[in-house]
Amino acid sequence: MNINGIGIVFTRGRGIDSFEKALQEGWRTPSQVEIKGRKSFAYQVDAQMLSDKRLLKKMRRADKLSKMAVIAAYEALAGSGIGDFNKKSIGIITATAFGAHVTTFDFLNDILDYGEANVSPTTFSNSVHNAAASYISSLLNIQGPTLTVTQFFFPFHSALQLAQAWLNEKRCDYVLVGAVEQYGDVLGYIYDSELTPASDGMIKPFNFNPTYQVPGEGSVFFLLSNKNHDDTFCEIHNVSINADEKDTLQADLDIIDTDGLVADESIYKNCLSPAIPVAAYSPLFGSMMTGSAFNCAAGALMLKKQTVYANPVADNPKGLNIVGETGRSNIELLRCIRYNCHGEKAEIYLRGKPNGEGREVNRQNQG
Amino acid sequence: MIAITGFGAISAAGGNVAETLDAFSLAKRNAGEVTLFDTSLRYPVFEAKHIPDEFFLEGRRTLSLALIAVDEALRSAGLGDDLSGLRVGVCLGTTVACQLNDIDFYKAYRDSGSAPMSPVDRYLKGNIAEYISRRFKAQGPSLTVVNACSSGTDAIGVALSWLNNGLCDIAIAGGADELNRVPLCGFGSLGIMSMDLCAPFDRDRKGLNLGEGAGVVVLETNESAQKRGVISDLYLMGYGSSGDAYHLTAPHPEGAGLRISIKKALADAGIGHREVSFVNAHGTATPDNDLVEGNVLADVFGKDLKMLSTKGFTGHTLGAAGGLEAVFAAVGLREGWIPANAGFENKDDAIPLIPVREKTAIDGRYAVSTSLAFGGNNAAIVIGRI
Repeated sequence: MNINGIGIVFTRGRGIDSFEKALQEGWRTPSQVEIKGRKSFAYQVDAQMLSDKRLLKKMRRADKLSKMAVIAAYEALAGSGIGDFNKKSIGIITATAFGAHVTTFDFLNDILDYGEANVSPTTFSNSVHNAAASYISSLLNIQGPTLTVTQFFFPFHSALQLAQAWLNEKRCDYVLVGAVEQYGDVLGYIYDSELTPASDGMIKPFNFNPTYQVPGEGSVFFLLSNKNHDDTFCEIHNVSINADEKDTLQADLDIIDTDGLVADESIYKNCLSPAIPVAAYSPLFGSMMTGSAFNCAAGALMLKKQTVYANPVADNPKGLNIVGETGRSNIELLRCIRYNCHGEKAEIYLRGKPNGEGREVNRQNQG
Repeated sequence: MIAITGFGAISAAGGNVAETLDAFSLAKRNAGEVTLFDTSLRYPVFEAKHIPDEFFLEGRRTLSLALIAVDEALRSAGLGDDLSGLRVGVCLGTTVACQLNDIDFYKAYRDSGSAPMSPVDRYLKGNIAEYISRRFKAQGPSLTVVNACSSGTDAIGVALSWLNNGLCDIAIAGGADELNRVPLCGFGSLGIMSMDLCAPFDRDRKGLNLGEGAGVVVLETNESAQKRGVISDLYLMGYGSSGDAYHLTAPHPEGAGLRISIKKALADAGIGHREVSFVNAHGTATPDNDLVEGNVLADVFGKDLKMLSTKGFTGHTLGAAGGLEAVFAAVGLREGWIPANAGFENKDDAIPLIPVREKTAIDGRYAVSTSLAFGGNNAAIVIGRI
């Protein structure tokens, strides 16, 4: 299947152009946050980015999570350049790890402060995990299958696999697949309690051990189909979870999802080859269980623009073959890799736009 | 075609499928006040009465319920508790187990700025599909569906897609949810819970009762079932899902998404509406749901349709509802009867259908189960007996 459009909202802006700009400009210090008197860092989305009165006028009372998701989904559709959608044939799959936890805690505040019989129905409605997907459906008038899925490590990969299945079964012509996460002080507290916060605000993706996390928030959506439009970014060649090593393909570049959300990320070394450059972009958007979606967006941009982007944080204590400079490059196949804390691996292979800029070549198995 | 080679269920109606059938047959409604946690709210609820020790997990009641149903489903499918040699996917729906809503943890954090992490650890290790996958060493895809009240039905639909696309050979699918203080308060705030026992499709219905439970089916490709020497008479024939694109909490007044979902499921199954012998409706007993659903079902299937809601026996079990009702539909086809629509007494003139008033024989080959959810999600499945 192909990526026909990408919509994104993250700490540095809204829209795929802002993401590309961040990839070109490199790392910036995230905002400082205070959690119950303790100073920490987080990659937060500024409220100004969500002040789209035209798009969001019917969801004024919705939470930040839903607004981010709606904006990203809208951008993916609008940016695709496809104007003649049958809204009944677009599916939505929203992947999230923590969902509307901030609104859930607001609802718990209601229970604690006002009593069980005096809680807000609006807060409750918005705390339900599928509220974001429902807002996407109603605001963009999409009437295809609408699903929200959750896991702690591979929800985005699973959503992609399901999207391919839906397209194969012709349940829909297009699928909007996205990820969304929101930062909140309780989540920050949990991250900082369970994992090592980056005291300088810098995720160091190639450190592997010890690791440092900086929580992030945002949303990225992909418009996927089996169609190849003018503005198509690339093909999602394959998505695998726990695949046999013999099925591993040799890519031109590997993007790894290291972001400090696993205490020891040394396992990533096992899948990297000295001959293949490696990149990691989590320092641009923060540590998120669904961060794979953001790295996937970076990969899609690389293939479309035939440009590699320098690693935003280039600390390289293991001497890896990391991407050092931004510049033009012939990239045909790109692999995004994520491991979970059980050592299981998920991979997304992106390939240059079919019949377009990317060249067809025979690939040899690595294993 | 995808075979249903096993199923399991636990709810207030019974700790397994056999007990549930007894309760259905005797029209026993095991509702009462909340006993699982302290609450000032006095709504009647449907609690599962007994968690056997081997399935008890401290602070993770939804997982315990899921384990009970999965264990029964695997045993009835002739599968053991080590699935490592097979390509088994796990797709389960829930609403409660996906949220970090431990009030004691949050209150401690809010009051003092620190809190014990054990509830967080339980939560992080308690993603329902991931937990079941690990517990039974399932090697296939694993996904938790959080589509509010259609989660269980949608999870079964996802599993169907996995099997159709060769992502696994066997899938454990359905849903589980515990009775929990947070949704109890939330549904109370929406004004859609009844202080009386629920009465789906009744003229005087006053709202839903919350329940808890788990319903799980084992789905399997014919090739896999044949390879294991398993013969099943039940099949998952089709699935349809559609969004209303209308409102966060209210169904579309004309049931637009539900209508599309049912038609897609029938088309998926390759059958016409006249071939459906009964519909196990969502039937929550809220004024809006039953009005919309009753009218859509009458439009699609005709006014002579045999239909019922089993929520009069289980309460609304949220993420478990679709799983439980899929099991009940499958069992109804196999047993040749469906229970009375518990709680129904008076016809609502605004609804052109009358649910079955007593235990009713059915003789057809196909059943439909529907789910409607917060956010305008609608889902339907077709189950066949061949």
